[in-house]
Amino acid sequence: MANSDTPSSATLPPRLPDPPPPASRTVAPSATGSVRIPEVSAAKPPMAPNLPAEPVEGQPTVRVVIDGTEVVVRKGTNVLEAAKLAGKDICHFCYHPGLSIAASCRQCLVEIEKNPKLQPSCQQTVAEGMVVHTESPTVLEARRALLEFTLKNHPIDCPICDKAGECTLQRHYMDHDHQLTRVDVPKIRKPKHKDIGREIVLDAERCILCSRCVRFCEEIPKTGELGMQFRGENESLDVAEGHPLDNAYSMNVVDICPVGALTAKDFRFAIRAWELRSTHTTCTGCATGCAVELHHRHEQAYRIVPRFDATTNGHWMCDEGRHTYKELEPSRRVRRARVDGEEVLLGHAVAMAARRLRGRGRKVAVVFSAAASNEANLALADLASLIGAERYIVGRPAGKGDDVLRDADKNPNARGAAAAAGAAKHEGELALELAGRAYEAVVFLDGTFEASDVVGSALCAITSVCLADRAGPLSDACTIVLPASSWAETTGSLINRHGRLRVLRPAWRAEGDRRERADLIRELVLAMGERDIGSARERSRAIAEQHGSSELAALVSDAKATRPTLLRFSHSRG
Amino acid sequence: MTIGVKKVSLHRTARDQVFLPAILEGLLTSARHFFKNTMTKGMGDVDTIRYGEPDVDIKTYYPDRFRGVHRLMYRDDGSVRCVACMCCSTVCPAKCIYIVAEDRQDNAEKGPASFVIDELKCVVCGLCVEACPCDAIRMDTKQHMTPTERREDAVLGKVELMSRGGPSVATQGGLGPEFRAVAPQADPRFGQ
Repeated sequence: MANSDTPSSATLPPRLPDPPPPASRTVAPSATGSVRIPEVSAAKPPMAPNLPAEPVEGQPTVRVVIDGTEVVVRKGTNVLEAAKLAGKDICHFCYHPGLSIAASCRQCLVEIEKNPKLQPSCQQTVAEGMVVHTESPTVLEARRALLEFTLKNHPIDCPICDKAGECTLQRHYMDHDHQLTRVDVPKIRKPKHKDIGREIVLDAERCILCSRCVRFCEEIPKTGELGMQFRGENESLDVAEGHPLDNAYSMNVVDICPVGALTAKDFRFAIRAWELRSTHTTCTGCATGCAVELHHRHEQAYRIVPRFDATTNGHWMCDEGRHTYKELEPSRRVRRARVDGEEVLLGHAVAMAARRLRGRGRKVAVVFSAAASNEANLALADLASLIGAERYIVGRPAGKGDDVLRDADKNPNARGAAAAAGAAKHEGELALELAGRAYEAVVFLDGTFEASDVVGSALCAITSVCLADRAGPLSDACTIVLPASSWAETTGSLINRHGRLRVLRPAWRAEGDRRERADLIRELVLAMGERDIGSARERSRAIAEQHGSSELAALVSDAKATRPTLLRFSHSRG
Repeated sequence: MTIGVKKVSLHRTARDQVFLPAILEGLLTSARHFFKNTMTKGMGDVDTIRYGEPDVDIKTYYPDRFRGVHRLMYRDDGSVRCVACMCCSTVCPAKCIYIVAEDRQDNAEKGPASFVIDELKCVVCGLCVEACPCDAIRMDTKQHMTPTERREDAVLGKVELMSRGGPSVATQGGLGPEFRAVAPQADPRFGQ
């Protein structure tokens, strides 16, 4: 659904004055520190050629009657989208709002008055005064007949199919067909479990030839690896010899496939779809901050799939982002606090850290992270101004970017962290200073910083505090490790490359001593005997107010908003 | 329609007042059963099953749909029929079935890497058998779960479950083109 909580530039409240450039900014953020950044409305997500039906102010509209309901829709939209607005879900396979229209499955046929034949509603543009029937006996008969035809060569191997439970064909069969088979001729056999690329396995028998994936590869990554071969009932989906499907967005074909013809190797046989729970959150793989659903069960993440967001990512996300759930691997989690290599109670570790940081005239450095949330970075800024620490900011190394969705900056919150940190030095300088033993104490916000051996041994010798969610080289080198919650356990906000607020929702409750970073820093500050800097929740509330984000505001005020939904009760995907 | 009413006389005769004849009558009935069931051949009219005695085959007394300890059936090639679809573990009200799926690397594609049933948690409802789409799990062993000294011994793995199994009579991969001839007998809805 359109993310109405992230205001587009047209609906923004009056902006705050632009902050001065980072170099000249003074270091004085307080508990109410702001991470507000002007939005950049330049890059647009790869969007559909299909117009949504909602009327837009200033755009021409038409009036159509769908099953007796009169609706006013945007001119140029198709009947299928208009029916959606009227509350009628016309079943379809080949139509996808983010792709061009093929009208090849014929599943969405509707009756239009004064038209002698049934029309594919996906291809039929609305016209003024059009009268559409989506549930007339002719339409129902056509739907049923076409489903039977689609199922003729479908192997019905749902027990071993990864898509079972979220399959569009299963849903349509249950809703519209629901009859026993009349086929008494052998089914056409086609290649099964064929490896067609880095991420994807093809089962050509299950394919219903909707060509969504073919259109996707041609239109979004513009690589065009997939194609149809042969004709009639022997027609099958395949890749060309020597040209496997391995573009940066290849796993989207799994999501848009209405059946289980294209399945992800990564998710293959991992878990059944109906066992999963879904949490709407944000991808932390790069600065784009795509809206995603994290699918998880028993505090373990299984996959990430994109969620529609008109302002950021449209319907898609990249393969790289889908693999970020592997960071949440339970075996790598830091569950208990550690001081000098020994596991201790959290309160004890916080007290030790406070005592060692407190010393008079100590030279302390704090390290902000572009991979951590605004709340965590703002809390660290408060700590820095309270103890007069030197500020550094670190982030993940740059990677590959393109002009579809991926950004070369692999930090989800580079802009928010920079705004919270103020005038901060960068990681190169930090490495030099640490290797030169310039500081007696250093606080790392997360394990992003890559410590070389020299720096690692320097960290062992001084008071180094790391708020780590998973074990890594940095947390191994630090003398005090505080267990922090990962991005899947955090209520927080990020600011993406366009300056838009992206919301992190907790998928499950952090187990053990794991706490949100902002709360850990607050406890640290309290243990030092300083004033209360506010909890993570209070910070989120303040950020939600500044940005006018009802999504984040709901999250901090309503316990229900944080509860994941069972995928069994959500709609089929694809 | 009138209802027939049996009228019982509450009048007590002298014979009733004495009680002794009635007591003797009762003792006589007991004595008759005693001598009939112990002295005659073939146990008289006793319906008691001598459970646990070595010469008694308990399975003959159980109905065909009796639900006992689970077993896993084989394919034609001797491998497990289960395709790890998780239908049984999903439907199980006691959540006592734990399956981990794996890629079988053959035409069956998917199979269970591990298939564990905790017989102590099992409520013997038989829903797993109903849910199974490929006749892989059955409860027709007519064996009760025997008491165990340790809890772990009541948690059965794939090997133990298959040791009770056998080849299934269900046609592997469905009936195929001949289904029109066979199916109406199996399911009358096909004949319509």
